[in-house]
Amino acid sequence: MVFFSFETWQITFFSLAVGLASTFLILPFGIALSWLFARKEWPLKSVVETIVLLPLVMPPVSTGLILLKIFGRRSPVGQWLYDRGVEIVFNWKGVLIAMAVMSFPLLVRSVRTSFAEVNPRLEQIAATLGASTLRIVFVITIPLAYRGIIAGALLAFSRALGEFGATILLAGNIPGKTQTLSLAIFNFVQLGKDREAYMLLGITVFLAFAFVWSSEWLLRSGKAV
Amino acid sequence: MLLRCRIPLANFELAIDVSFDARVTSIFGPSGSGKTSLLDAIAGLRSMTAGEIEIGGKTIFSSTRAINRSPQDREVGYVPQEGALFPHLSVRRNILFGADRNGYSMKPGRITMDHVVEILEIRDLLDRFVTQLSGGEAQRVALARAILSRPQLLLLDEPLAALDIGLKERILPYLARVRDEFSIPMIYVTHNLTEVLTLADWVLMIRRGQLIAQGVPREVLRSTHAIAQIEEEKVENVFTVTFVESDAEAGRSRVRFESGEELLIPYFPRPENRFLQIRINADDIIVGIQRPAGISAGNIVPGVVRGVERLNGQALLRVDAGELFYVRLTASAVGRLGLKEGTAVFLIMKTRSFRLL
Repeated sequence: MVFFSFETWQITFFSLAVGLASTFLILPFGIALSWLFARKEWPLKSVVETIVLLPLVMPPVSTGLILLKIFGRRSPVGQWLYDRGVEIVFNWKGVLIAMAVMSFPLLVRSVRTSFAEVNPRLEQIAATLGASTLRIVFVITIPLAYRGIIAGALLAFSRALGEFGATILLAGNIPGKTQTLSLAIFNFVQLGKDREAYMLLGITVFLAFAFVWSSEWLLRSGKAV
Repeated sequence: MLLRCRIPLANFELAIDVSFDARVTSIFGPSGSGKTSLLDAIAGLRSMTAGEIEIGGKTIFSSTRAINRSPQDREVGYVPQEGALFPHLSVRRNILFGADRNGYSMKPGRITMDHVVEILEIRDLLDRFVTQLSGGEAQRVALARAILSRPQLLLLDEPLAALDIGLKERILPYLARVRDEFSIPMIYVTHNLTEVLTLADWVLMIRRGQLIAQGVPREVLRSTHAIAQIEEEKVENVFTVTFVESDAEAGRSRVRFESGEELLIPYFPRPENRFLQIRINADDIIVGIQRPAGISAGNIVPGVVRGVERLNGQALLRVDAGELFYVRLTASAVGRLGLKEGTAVFLIMKTRSFRLL
């Protein structure tokens, strides 16, 4: 007998794939923005910081509604994208956007803190040795902050897998198309399919355990450097 | 080089206006007098209200002509007090970090990695991580990194301050070698008199952001009340002498001052270099008002007191005995012997109190 049904595999794979894609999508932006927050002063910086953190404190459903308004076909952005053949709402791209927006603040908070902990003196001395800002960032700052970056990425990935509120508004809960682990558990419970719900529950517990354990292991092994 | 700058600091403004041309210029002053801020400003790491900085004929900052070169373009090698080595890179990658600044081939010069590594004796450290280095090793690596960027000027910020006394004495000769081996002018910040006398050929004395004296170290120290600033520091006399002869059996060597006066110091074999630097701590000299007899000390040198500075129960004497000696006594001893300017004295110094640098 096949322990997991095809449907279960499909849901798990879809969640992991989109979650991973979302994390890799936000990583470069998150690192760049965190660096600007930690190292530069610029006008309206605090406003931008607040906007980035908003999804962390706002009800996810509200964020989802905002995203729906932005990417819906009746908005200028949605219309512009639609004209170029890209549709965000009610397909996997909607899941991706919802996950990315919701997990972005967690990534930025973690990376920003780890950038702030890098001794600015090292960057200054690197500059006197002739290194360009870009070289300083890639050879000094990022390598010294890598633990915070990995921790932030894991945190963002976990948050992406747990995403529910914004996803259901932007992408809906369409089996085989936009249904993630969280959405599916909700769905199965609603339909009274307890066996399927518990199966997925088990998978989420296993994944969560694996993430926490591996991030702890990473942080510990990093100490040697 | 030309150094004219006004730098706002927390409690006062640093205002310096000097022009000098020396191999090693020492900026000497107590902690908190703005020395590090001055180096940061020269390196382009701190902003200045107004001023002009010129190194080797090249202007790197000028408020009137709106020139402000970036730290990358100033060609200044900076060794900060804490070393600031990159903790995630090996020693080799640290010292090569700035080596390609102008491209290896463009500036052949005399400075090669092999040469620097040899002078600073860090070859065995090259493949280590910097977290495995001792304080003295880390300072040598930081120095190597700065030199290998082939700068027009080296800035050294109290490179020995974090080291214990024994290590200081071992690192000091390396700095002297760097001075003699690579023709890079250095600005050397310190609050240690010995380091000034050993390394520098020009000294800028600053206090609370103001230049209070400048000149050849011996002259400046002779004429100013520099000593009051270094109350807590070890005060050392450093002299350049010529070698006369050595006697291993007797355990001593004879050296001569420029004035002709001869001294006995602990035995060492005949050196290659005729000129030597020797040191004696100002606390290790005994002062007598009569020539003593029947004592073990190998050196009894007549001299005249040129000045007495008192501070917190201590007195620092300047005694002219062919060379200028600093002698630190208690205020009570000065009172007992009635020492004042013009008093004829004898300096009594054990052979073994002298050290060769």
